[in-house]
Formats: sequence, C-alpha cells, structure tokens
Amino acid sequence: MSAATRTTVEDIIERRRKARLGRSVFYLILFALVVWSIQITIIDDTDWARMGSLDNVLEAAGQFLAVDVSLFPDLIEPAIETFMIACLGTLLGVVICIPAAWFGAVNITPFKPVTYPLARLMMTLSRSIHEIVWALFFVAAVGLGALAGVFAIAVRSLGFIAKMSAEAIEDIDPGPVEAIKATGASPIQIVVYAILPQVLPQVLGVIIFEWEINIRRSAILGLVGAGGLGLVFFRQMNTFNFAGVTSVIITILAIILIGEVVSHFVRKSTI
Amino acid sequence: MATHSPTTPNWNRFKFPDSAIRWGSWFAAFVFLAYSVEYLNIPLDRLLGMLGRMGDTLANRYYPPDIDYIMNADYMQYVVETVQMAYLGALFGLLLTLPLGWFAAHNITPSRRYVYPVARLVTMGFRAVHEMIWAIIFVTILGFGMLPGVIALTFFCTGFAGKLFAEEIEAIDMGPVDAIKATGANLLQVVIFGVLPQVRVAFTGIAIYTWDVAFRAATVVGFFGAGGMGWYLKRNVLQIETERVAAILLSIVVLVIISEIVSAWARSRVMKMK
Amino acid sequence: MAILEVRNLTARYSAAGPEILKGISFDVEDNDFFAVIGPSGAGKSTLIRCINHLVEPTSGEIVFDHRNVTQLNNREMRGLRRDIGMIFQEFNLIDRMSVMDNVLSGRLGDTSTFRSILRAFSKSDIQHALTLLERVGLIDHVDKRADELSGGQRQRVGIARALMQDPKLLLLDEPTSALDPKISREIMALIKEMAHELKVPCLCNIHDVNLAMEFCNKILGLQDGVVMFNGPTQDMNQDKLNEIYAMEVL
Repeated sequence: MSAATRTTVEDIIERRRKARLGRSVFYLILFALVVWSIQITIIDDTDWARMGSLDNVLEAAGQFLAVDVSLFPDLIEPAIETFMIACLGTLLGVVICIPAAWFGAVNITPFKPVTYPLARLMMTLSRSIHEIVWALFFVAAVGLGALAGVFAIAVRSLGFIAKMSAEAIEDIDPGPVEAIKATGASPIQIVVYAILPQVLPQVLGVIIFEWEINIRRSAILGLVGAGGLGLVFFRQMNTFNFAGVTSVIITILAIILIGEVVSHFVRKSTI
Repeated sequence: MATHSPTTPNWNRFKFPDSAIRWGSWFAAFVFLAYSVEYLNIPLDRLLGMLGRMGDTLANRYYPPDIDYIMNADYMQYVVETVQMAYLGALFGLLLTLPLGWFAAHNITPSRRYVYPVARLVTMGFRAVHEMIWAIIFVTILGFGMLPGVIALTFFCTGFAGKLFAEEIEAIDMGPVDAIKATGANLLQVVIFGVLPQVRVAFTGIAIYTWDVAFRAATVVGFFGAGGMGWYLKRNVLQIETERVAAILLSIVVLVIISEIVSAWARSRVMKMK
Repeated sequence: MAILEVRNLTARYSAAGPEILKGISFDVEDNDFFAVIGPSGAGKSTLIRCINHLVEPTSGEIVFDHRNVTQLNNREMRGLRRDIGMIFQEFNLIDRMSVMDNVLSGRLGDTSTFRSILRAFSKSDIQHALTLLERVGLIDHVDKRADELSGGQRQRVGIARALMQDPKLLLLDEPTSALDPKISREIMALIKEMAHELKVPCLCNIHDVNLAMEFCNKILGLQDGVVMFNGPTQDMNQDKLNEIYAMEVL
C-alpha cells in the first residue's frame, strides 16, 4: 500500500510543478507583451518634452478643479434636451427591436435561413459601431441637431435590447403556446397571450438598463453635433473655459443620477 | 349555456387605485414623450422622406468605400496601436478592479463605514463619465498621443468592471469565507482563499466583456486626439472624404467583429471550465 | 352519428422517424368519456394531438363534427380548434396573467385581434367566465395571478378555460399526472360532472388505469401505436390489461 501511495503523491507533486511552470511561462510571455506594448504606445509615442514636468501636468489637471457656477442656468435646457434624446432614442430603439427580436429568435423566426442571420447581423453591427460613429453618420445624413442623436441612440440600442429579447423568446415554455394555439387563436393572439407575458419582465428590465446607459451616451453625442450637453462641452473646451467643462460634467452626472433614481422606482413597481 | 346566477358577482377590470396609478403613469410618460418630440423640433411628417434621403446618401457618397486608402502600412500601424491601447487600458483597469471591487462589495469590504462608500462612489464616478470625456480631459492635460488614451480607457474600465465585479462578489456564498475566517486568517488571506475561487470564473467573463467594450472605445478615442485609428476618422470627416470615411468605418466594424468572435470563443472556453 | 370518427390514423414526427401511430380506428359518441390507456411511448399523447391537428397525421382520416380534420386550411383549422377544448398535464396557464384572463383566453378564437390585444372581452364572455369559475370553485381567486395557485387549482382554471370555448369535444392529455392522488380524483370527478352537465364528450389520455376504469365509460388500449382494446369499460379485465401493458411488465 505505501509504495502505491508514495508514487501517487510524487506524481501529484510533479504534475503541480509542471503546471506551475507552464503557467509561469504563459504569464512571462504575457508580461513581455505588455511591456513591449507600453514601450510602443506610451513611452515612444508620448511627446515627453512638450508635456513637461510633473508640476506642469498637475497644473494642467488643476484647471479642471474649478467650477464655473455662472454657467449652470445655461445648462438646464441642454440637459433637458439630452434627457429627451435618451428617452426618444430608447423608445425608437424598442420599436425597431420588435421585428429584430422576432427575426432573431430561433423558435419564431419566419424564414430561418434568411431572417435569422439577417437579424443577428443587424444586432452585431449595432453593437460593434460606437455611438459616436453612429452619430457622425446620422449628422451627415439628417443634419446637425437632436434628431441625429435620437437615431444614433436608437440604432445603438437595437443590438443589446434585441439580442436579450430574442434570447428571452428562445427560452420560453412552449406549453402555454400550445394551449393558446389549441383554443383556435390567430398567430398574433398567440404572440400576445402566450409569448409576450413570458418575456415581458426580462425585456422591460433590459430596456430600463439600456435607457440608463443611453443617458450617458446622449450627453456626449453633442460633441459631434447631435444635440444636447455635448455641444456645450465642445464649446467650453474650445474657449479653454475648463471650469465650464467641469460644470458640464457635473450636470451630466446629475442627469445620470436622476436616471438611476427613476429606474430604481420603475424596477420596484414592475419587479 | 348557463344563465346569470344570482350569486355570481360583478367583475371589473379597472381596479382603484392600482389601475388608476398604472394608467396614469403610462399617460404621463406618453405626454412627456410627445412633448419631447415637440421640444426637440422633430419633424414627424418629414421623417420618412429623410429615411429615403439617408439611403441615397449612403449609396451615392459612402459607396464604394475607398479600401485602397486604408490598405497601407501606416494605417495598419494605427490599427495595431489601437489594439494595444485597448488591451493595456483593459488590463490596467482590471488590475485596479481587483482591489476596488473588493472594497466596493458590501459583504467583504474592509470597512463598511468608510471604505465601502468611497469605493462605491469612485466606481460609479468612473463609470458615469463617458470614456470620450475621459479621453478629452486627459488629452487636454497630457497632450495628444496614446498615453491619454490608455489612461482614459483605464479609468473607464475600472468603473465598468468594478461595478460588475462588486456585484459578483456580493452574490457569493459566505460559508467558505466564514470558514477561512474561522482559521484565523487575516483579511487578505480570507479574500484570496475564500472569495477569489468563487468569483474566478465570473471575473474571467467580466474581463472578456471589458475587453470588448474597451476595444470598441479605443477605435474612436483617436477622434479626440487620444491615439489610434480614430484619428484617421477625424481627419477624413473634417475633409468630407466620405468614401475614405466609409472605408475606415468598414475596417472598424470588421475589427470589432473579429474581436467579438475571439471573445465569444474565449467565453465558451471559460464556460467549459465551469 | 359519432362526433369523432378516426380511421386508420398513422403519424410520425419526422419523415425519417419511426411510426408512432400505426393505423388507429375508433369512434367517440356524443356522451362518451373515452379513456386512452397504454404504456409510455404507445402514442397516446400523439393521438390526442392529432385530433386538433397540433400534430400532423401522416395518413388516415379524422372526421370531427362532419369536418375532415386533415383537409382543412388554416382558417378552418382555427375554427375546428375553437370547437375542441384541451386540458393539459402541466396545466399550461399563462403564469403572469390573472385567473380571469386565463379563462377568458379560451375565447380568443371568437374575439377579434384588436379587442383581444386590449383584453376587451364582451360582457357575456365575462359573465360566462364568472359562471364557470364559480362552478369550479375558484370564484374567490378571480384576480389572483395564475402562478399563485396550487396544482389542483390551476387545473381547475384549465378546465374553465377549455369549457369557455363551448366546445363540442374535450381533449384531455393526462390531466391528473401532475397532481397527487386525492386531488386527481377530485379533478376527474369535476371534469366528468361538468362534461355531463354541458353535454360535452371527452377523449382522455390517462396514465392511471384505476382512474380510467372508475370514471370512463369506454377504453381504447394502445400498445406501440396499435389498438389492443376498444370497448366499454365493463369488458376490460386483468388479462386484457396485461396484454396492453405487456411491454412494461417485461
């Protein structure tokens, strides 16, 4: 008995050593990669002379520590605009999600070889392209202003909401669907009575989640001309009024906070 | 068919006050949204025409994309730098998330009165500020280049992953943690042996998700001077070289899709490990 | 004339799959409470679902109320289903909806799409639902969510929903398999009483032979997709049961 266990224990020790060695090599390579990247991206690329000393940097940073209080009254309207862009954008996004989620759910997609991959492609495109890029596109397409922002938000939200909704639809219990079918209901009635109630809690949660993120996104779309606080931010930066920039950031944080409070209440009431 | 029996009560779908509140809230939301359309001057009647014009713009000015413009070594270098910025930002962000997530987790934070609220505030603050704002701020302080980009991405990733990580930690089973505590281990040891093993897999998932988001942001921070292919984008947008812009956007989409395929593969490997 | 006539029914789930039903023939008369018994895999569930075309038969004839089930278009099929009520083993209620709405959903076939989306059912429908709910003993639970009820209560809602359709035939797919023995007996008794009152024949797939013998007047014994017994309950005896369940014994 002792001979057998001794070999087994030694085996285990040897195996652990080898595993540790393998892991160490892996981490070493990773570390080398990181160091190399840091060298290329930061050390070589940065104009250290122009940046100056640590004091210079701290001074530059300190410019943001002041707050331009006089700016706040002028920020109310853009703030409301940003909030509205987020709301309308999310709403429009939900509307275009309806066909997208329908096509993107394996169990109810109308023509699987075509509609399913198409929906999945739309969802991927929507999520892969940054909202700034969408905003640039829509500003070029429909002009400067809030409308471009609404479209950009809508299209950006499609990916996440439709994907989550499609997954919820794919997870439903087929029993109630069979039961409603057996009463002689039409396809639309089957969707409204058997499918929708099953996915609604999840879908609503996803919509609220995305709405909160959209407030954050709407605030900066103005940087490229799509309306809201982003435009004020841009202007303050251009006139080097860094205290004003800080004011804008504070306002953005404030409306994000409002969004969190609202979403908390909505979640509580719909569970 | 059954006749109306005297004991059958009446039934109304509308229940006061619950139904009133529900319908009232929906109505209020509808009014707000309608007012928003008015406030933002959205021309509902011209909307469909606009969509048609959008299609025209796409077909005429953005097609065909000027692929030759981006198929050169200079652009490829920018692409590589974008990738490097992204994973450095994600890496540093995740390194910072380890302690920050711990401090921001209500169940194992070292001090519920002082450390916890500060950590939560920091996480929320870093997360609430959009990554583009971080980029602009750091470009202002440090000048153009990839350093502000990496720092901006780091700040963003710390907030992003920090919240998710703290939530994962708060969801663990406290049993093993108490067991380690009972052996007399100090707080750090409790975290390493009691908490980490439980959240290891979830953390890997969070890491992959963070990489996805970081990469997507890295492709655009260059627009504001923080290094990477976004710089190319800005130049061509300003010069209204729409076919080149189309090519750059195409390259961004392709890269992000490749990155997502890699992430999906990595995530499935992680799921198998579970 | 029998309300339901089945002739040489065959069915398989996929073109390459095995034949589940291999030529079933039987009749259901106006006042029957017809039980379908047999070992697992005998095709009982499939048979029930062929009647209202939830499963498509491969060949054979099903004539319900003078209508040939296999030759109906979509609209006519929905009309057929309106006249056939179905009660399920797992109840298949809409969990998040109230008991009232679940019962009303039995009326979907006769309600326009627009009104059904707004849940604006007619007053007579609501009255009918209340009457049924009182009959099944759930009048005090009308506004509760379906998932707040016990198993037995949920099946009662299922019964009310099926009868809401004013059906000419009730299909039951193991209505008591998910319930404990005492409740099972109550539910079977309730179904039999109400079916008798409303003069609705029933075709019932049932696993528990004792329940079948106690409540049903006719029995169809299936084994491996083939009819082994078709006749009144009093003709059933232990030998014939053994024949039907031979596979299980082995």
